[in-house]
Amino acid sequence: MALIRKRFFCSEFPKKWAVKQVTKSNFAESLEEMKGHISSSDFVAVSLQKTGSFSAPWHRALPFDTAETAYCKAKRSAERYQLFQFAVCPFSVDSSKLVAYPYNYLLFPRDELKVGMPCYNFSCQTSYLTSMAREGFDFNACIYDGISYLSRAQESEAKVWIGNPRSSLLVVDSTSSPSVADNIFSERIKSRVLRWKNACKKPNKSTNDALMSSLRKLISGSEYYESRPCISIDVCSEHQVQLALEMLREFSDELVPVLIPGKSGGTQAVRVVLTSSKEDKDLFERELQRLEEEENKKVRGFREVIDLISASQKPIVSYNSLTDLTFIHSKFIAPLPPTLDEFASSLRHVFPNVLDVSHLMKVIGPLRKMTNVPLAISYLNNHFFAPVDIEIPYQATENESRIHGHNVVRISHLFAKLCSILKIGHSSTTSDSTILSAPALEEYTNVFDALSTSSEESVNEDISVWTKNTRKVSCEQLVFLWGFGGGKTAGKLKSLLNNSHTTFSKEFDIRFVDKSCAVIVFWQPGLAETFIDVMNNIEEISGPLREMVSEGLRAASYETYKRVCKLDIWEADLAESLDKALEDPDHHLTEVNPIVTPIEIQWSGDSMINYNDL
Amino acid sequence: MNRHRPARALSRALALSFSSTAAAAAAPSSLPAFPLKQVTKSNFEPALAELRSHVRAADFVAIDLEMTGVTSAPWRESFEFDRSDVRYLKVKDSAEKFAIVQFGVCPFRWDSSKQAFIAYPHNFYIFPRQELTIDGSSYEFLCQTASIDFLAKYQFDFNACIREGISYISIQQEGEVLRRLNLAYEDDAPATGYNLKEVRDVPLLRMGDVLFTERMKNRFNEWRDWLLQPQSGEFQFQGSSNDSKQQFQTLFFKMRPAISLSGFTSHQLRLIQLVIRKNFEDLSYVCVNGENCVSQQLVVFTVSKDDRDLIMKEIKDERRKQAEMKIQAAVGFRHVIDLLSSEQKLIVGHNCFLDIAHVHNKFVGPLPLTAEEFVSSINKYFPFIIDTKILLNTHHILQQRMKKSKTSLSSAFAMLCPHIALSVSGGLAFDSGVKVEAQVDNLRCSNWNSGAKHEAGYDAFMTGCIFAQACSHVGIDFKHHFSCENLAYNEKLQKHVNLLYLSWTNADIIDLSTGNKVTETLETNPKRQFSNILFENIVLIWGFPSKLKARDIRNCISKVFGLTSVTSVYHLDETAVFVQFSNTEFVFNFLSLKETLEKSGDDPVSVLNPLTELLEGGNTRAAAYEAYKDICSSPMSKVLFADQAEVFGTKWKTQLVESKVAIDIQKDETSVQKT
Repeated sequence: MALIRKRFFCSEFPKKWAVKQVTKSNFAESLEEMKGHISSSDFVAVSLQKTGSFSAPWHRALPFDTAETAYCKAKRSAERYQLFQFAVCPFSVDSSKLVAYPYNYLLFPRDELKVGMPCYNFSCQTSYLTSMAREGFDFNACIYDGISYLSRAQESEAKVWIGNPRSSLLVVDSTSSPSVADNIFSERIKSRVLRWKNACKKPNKSTNDALMSSLRKLISGSEYYESRPCISIDVCSEHQVQLALEMLREFSDELVPVLIPGKSGGTQAVRVVLTSSKEDKDLFERELQRLEEEENKKVRGFREVIDLISASQKPIVSYNSLTDLTFIHSKFIAPLPPTLDEFASSLRHVFPNVLDVSHLMKVIGPLRKMTNVPLAISYLNNHFFAPVDIEIPYQATENESRIHGHNVVRISHLFAKLCSILKIGHSSTTSDSTILSAPALEEYTNVFDALSTSSEESVNEDISVWTKNTRKVSCEQLVFLWGFGGGKTAGKLKSLLNNSHTTFSKEFDIRFVDKSCAVIVFWQPGLAETFIDVMNNIEEISGPLREMVSEGLRAASYETYKRVCKLDIWEADLAESLDKALEDPDHHLTEVNPIVTPIEIQWSGDSMINYNDL
Repeated sequence: MNRHRPARALSRALALSFSSTAAAAAAPSSLPAFPLKQVTKSNFEPALAELRSHVRAADFVAIDLEMTGVTSAPWRESFEFDRSDVRYLKVKDSAEKFAIVQFGVCPFRWDSSKQAFIAYPHNFYIFPRQELTIDGSSYEFLCQTASIDFLAKYQFDFNACIREGISYISIQQEGEVLRRLNLAYEDDAPATGYNLKEVRDVPLLRMGDVLFTERMKNRFNEWRDWLLQPQSGEFQFQGSSNDSKQQFQTLFFKMRPAISLSGFTSHQLRLIQLVIRKNFEDLSYVCVNGENCVSQQLVVFTVSKDDRDLIMKEIKDERRKQAEMKIQAAVGFRHVIDLLSSEQKLIVGHNCFLDIAHVHNKFVGPLPLTAEEFVSSINKYFPFIIDTKILLNTHHILQQRMKKSKTSLSSAFAMLCPHIALSVSGGLAFDSGVKVEAQVDNLRCSNWNSGAKHEAGYDAFMTGCIFAQACSHVGIDFKHHFSCENLAYNEKLQKHVNLLYLSWTNADIIDLSTGNKVTETLETNPKRQFSNILFENIVLIWGFPSKLKARDIRNCISKVFGLTSVTSVYHLDETAVFVQFSNTEFVFNFLSLKETLEKSGDDPVSVLNPLTELLEGGNTRAAAYEAYKDICSSPMSKVLFADQAEVFGTKWKTQLVESKVAIDIQKDETSVQKT
């Protein structure tokens, strides 16, 4: 496995593939270029380099995970690990030609604004870092020159903290009538502003001596804001800010209010700037806006790219969309919501179309084990004739001899091949919209949307792809079992259970989830429930099972497993987590809706965990 | 806690610019860079051998660590409101989550002929690469973004660390793998499978398998017959077909004829294994690790059962030896720690409680639950540790010398060792200074540019220099009657050995040899402002409306319990505060009033209560100080305290009822302590 992977990495892709490497220094220029490429392309492929994926074997998505538990796992991973590389590749497919513009961005979550964002800390899995090092990844370049970012949610939070003046926004609050104190405040500042304004306008030829002017300055508190006269009005609450803005509306033809933020958020003062004419006022307002925009650019950093892709509404092509998009959502949009439904709907606003290549692969073959893109491509090469020429219109520069981000080109390549095999978009009049409406693509656009709706048919549909080597099974037929002592194989455990209780007299299967915990599938419906009941009333049973229970055997239903994922109980051993979930005194609280239609999952005939991939 | 880093960074930077300008003025000619022995995977073995002799000859060894971070969440930072047990939990959390990336070791030896100390600064790059699968879980560590950025500012070489860093396993992990190894070799596992697993009997389902099995059976029969033939003329066995020649190659394995199997798939090999086991008594299937870790499958001919057992045992022992060697290699950097421990040298660190906790967690075993257990465990490995920060702050002579200036590493270095810090060797003004020469690979140097990169090795060197100078100030005379006696037994130092700052902010000191905790008196530590924190008077409040600041909360509570009821309000982060009451009674009163108000809901009397402002939103929670300890002991670290506490959820409701009892018990405890 490792050998095969290595071979693909080394040989299949020649160095002439030019992937633009982007760091802090060339980010600004690349952004403009990227904008053009996105708008001229049909799709945007993405590929992420993470610092880890799961810290214990059972934390990865397993064959018996429902969409919801798989989301919980992806969520945990996205919240825990960091992105060091983000490859973006706008591309178009025309019959057998792929035109791609790959970019590879180095990211580092540096706290550029000193506000504790984008992230306080992150986890690294040493095996990930080691394999990145083996591929020649330059960690120094990443940490010294990586581009930072803020998510959309963080940006709005950060605006409060960033010590830059903002143009004001008056919220008209008509409901509350002004109090006496408010009136006094308004009147006081109004008279002060008037006095100052008049003083500024008065041609002071008569008293031209420096002493007088500085005295006046002292008394009126007059200052200059970039060559324009201004004064500051101190405020102690957001309410007073509104009062001041309300009052200043009277002078809106000449005066422009600017909000000065305080050190710990909120507004410290309202600065009133006097402009000389209508044109001057417009000029000043535009200038303010430009400054704000520039500041925002600095704040958003790499997120500009995400915003560009989002604004283009082009379909996103990803190999493992659940993993990739949970990362993207959590780092660049907002913290991940607790449920898959909320995630899918939040994501839809940002990226209306997400194509998952690994799901698309399932249309053509039993590729369950195609865990990486090179393997999938080689499978297609061996089974189909679908040559795709790759054209990357720009040339590699010398210092890019060590190129990263090839994977994103491979994903585009794989996608193009699949389109060709599945005869998608072959007509000459192809436009984005018709490509997307091809039935195969439609089915695999936004897979989480399909998964999140708990409608019967979508679930069935998914299973039909898999039936070749899986048997359908309902979650209710699964039971988790632990506490049977170490050093047992699945076979040993099965034979132990076989004679322990009548529920095991019918067909059942057993697999280890990790070294501490096994999962049993009772092929006859209802037996799982019976078994759980038996385990809960242990005083009523006797024989070998009783013996095993006294040795520490425990069992839990799939509901408990779901709760483990939902409550973020991510212990290293699943047994430990299940124990904790059962301990939790208010676990009945989460079981409020018992009439949920049982979700069916796939039971794979192979051993479930591939330890080689760890 | 992480305030210590930037502060140190700043003072370092200041010292740096100061010293480099001074150095430039003193000697404009090119100065050699500070000699520092950089050690990575590639030169670890020879460097370790050299270090062994240096440590053996050393009078003391200074150490310093660079980590990937200090605090896993803002609310885990070091606060004045840290009780000593909470303080330990915070250090424990830090040592468990973050990785060591650099380990500075600097042995110091007094050279009486030169009348100077010779220092051997070593800078080890460390990376927790997983060399062995210990328990199926993967290695993972946390990075604090600010700390990584701090390292980057000082041009830390992350590539060297990740690609070339030396890995390690702890004593405890080594014990665990050895135990498992023994277990695996104890039960009579046959030497057939690669991982000592018996191939299960599988019924032959496919026709192809049946045919293949039959063919193999014949092949082995032929081979055995050929072997047993009295005078076989041919040297090489000729199978019935030519194809088999490549797959069946006769050779000798441990003086016995054998066939090397090559070109078979693993499925075929499994079938062959079954054939051999079922049909041939005198043939055995073995799998040995050849050179370059390529495993080789053999079928060996043995004359008798004894012979067969013998060869199996031989193979088993060999494999075990290989496994043991692999474990030995995985020990890696811990050899350095073992060396320091076995030589029982005086270890010198600067404010090194966290460093020592890291050493325990990475190289000894998981950290115990309490500071007392930790201290007694570490004392077994390192019987003599001295902390220069404590020495400078508690020794009266040094206190006078330091003139209340800062005792951060670089400022103490600049203050005590100007002759070294400023690279002016033999300058008249600094005659009193203890001379130190640094040596790397037979290259000695007493005049260097201290503007060298600030790395663990250099920090360890600075720490050692401070210690040497401090010793001289307190009256230890190296020049005259300085013998080989252990410095740790020196009467002038004895009062300061094995004391570490559990918390520098609180001046809480822990004695490593006894486990006793003491607090510096007010006179000696001007930093100590919160001398009268009564933890039983503290309530922890979180989840309140975010617009409320400390002042608002104080006002809000004072309105109910009186103006003098609140002594202080302290923010843990934006979502939580400690409120210290003037009286323990208020703690209970506050908690129960909160509960009544929440129960009564919207009735007009409770709405008018000033406390409702604090409870607005319905997410406000409160608990006695003990809750903070519980939350700190959780392995989880959410960034915001309120989120972290939410995970504990409903537990608080039940605790509330018990809090009164808990308070009473605590009262008793404190009164006992005071007496």
